[in-house]
Amino acid sequence: MTKGGLAEDILTSQLLKENKNEKLKRLFRRSLTFVVIVLLGALIYLSIAKVYPFNWTTVLRYRRLFITGILVTLKLSAASMGISLGLGLVFAVMRTSKMELLNEIASLYVWVFRNMPLLVVILLTYYGVGNILDLSRFWAAVFALSAFEGAYMTEIIRSGIEAVDSGEIEAARSLGMSDFQIFSSIVFLQAIRISLPPLIGQMISLVKDSSLASVIALNELTMIGRQVGTSSFATFESYITVAVIYLLMTSVLSYLGRFLERRLMLP
Amino acid sequence: MNSVISLRGVVKTFGSLRALNGVDLDVRSGEILTILGPSGAGKSTLLRIMNMLIKPDMGQVIFEGKNLGSLTKKELRHVRSRIGFVFQHFNLFSHLTALDNVAIGLVKVKGMKWQSAREIAMEYLEKVDLADKARNYPSQLSGGQKQRVAIARALAMEPDIILFDEPTSALDPSLVGEVLRVMKRLAAEGRTMVVVTHEIGFARGVATRIVYMEKGKVVEEADPEVFFTSPAAAGAQKFLRSIMENAV
Repeated sequence: MTKGGLAEDILTSQLLKENKNEKLKRLFRRSLTFVVIVLLGALIYLSIAKVYPFNWTTVLRYRRLFITGILVTLKLSAASMGISLGLGLVFAVMRTSKMELLNEIASLYVWVFRNMPLLVVILLTYYGVGNILDLSRFWAAVFALSAFEGAYMTEIIRSGIEAVDSGEIEAARSLGMSDFQIFSSIVFLQAIRISLPPLIGQMISLVKDSSLASVIALNELTMIGRQVGTSSFATFESYITVAVIYLLMTSVLSYLGRFLERRLMLP
Repeated sequence: MNSVISLRGVVKTFGSLRALNGVDLDVRSGEILTILGPSGAGKSTLLRIMNMLIKPDMGQVIFEGKNLGSLTKKELRHVRSRIGFVFQHFNLFSHLTALDNVAIGLVKVKGMKWQSAREIAMEYLEKVDLADKARNYPSQLSGGQKQRVAIARALAMEPDIILFDEPTSALDPSLVGEVLRVMKRLAAEGRTMVVVTHEIGFARGVATRIVYMEKGKVVEEADPEVFFTSPAAAGAQKFLRSIMENAV
């Protein structure tokens, strides 16, 4: 017994040491990768700078405009996220409903918006529907983006609902729970958890897709980038700025998503 | 003796498959009725007909004098809450702890507050020797533990009868014993139970009556002693032989 215990102790201490070594090695590899990437980026930048004289002061001069663009993009994205998620929930429930009419309506919605380019949806909404209803550029963009992304969210949430074990539904029914209770306290809670990772992915797509609202001259980030680029001749600088800002926004979103996933994860 | 559930001329078809072909059966108060038969005989369908998880195409299901086919949705839910059901694959709610799995029926169906429901749920978990697993999620439990939580979930509703659908078939052989032990305890309390199973030992030692089914029909009804020593139906003899062989 003591002998075995001792052997085990030695084994665990060795394992711990190896673990520590592993961690150090990984840290080293990561820092090395980082340095190489930074060096590579600098090299590319410098070689471009030889033929294209970068002028970053222009970008700084237009910083107010860029901030407006960021705010509009954030507002547009946030409003569309809320509405599209709502649409996704409602249509997903309809899509899994036993009532044929509801099911067909939801299928039609998904079919229409998943098979049209977002650009066309935005143009249709602003120049078509928006003309009749007197929609502002901003709200036209919000509605177009929401309807479009909502179709994808519908499919994501639908597959989440269908992934819930039918045995659990049977068990809930055998306890005497009503259809509504079964949906709200068994199916829905699990479906959201299952759908969360792809939903976050769709939110990230939404932020990127919001750049298409520039086509109706809404002053969101991409539009601003274009304006600054054409009026100052610092096109490259302006678009690099825009690209980096999008990268930052989507990275924050995916970080938040991962945080939320961890919080909601079941053992 | 009083019948808790009676079936009269029950027929059920799935597509071209006739799962139940005219079944008459009475489950009497306090009895441990065990249903045996080869797979595909319609045993699980019969059990699900008893609490209307599956609706029969023809025939009647009578619970306490009421024909379940003529009840409103709400009345039927009330009847279901009084008929416990234990599934082969446990069917625990995977997003709830063991304790909440047992408590949720009390909250949603009996309208209790979560706190008092959890207190009661704890008593039932103690009854199946799982008080120490109350905070665990189903994914953290063994098959035998999951099935015992499922039994506690059914018990907590204080049902008049409990239906067991092959409760040990999905278990590791080493975990069958702990579930059967709990079931024997319930039998000893005088609860009314209908058990579909392949556990011959349980059927022989605990059951008060055996129903043997084949091809959607009840072929033989007998006392366990009679059934296991001299089954009347030819099919039952063959079935018993094959099971005994497997046991060896």
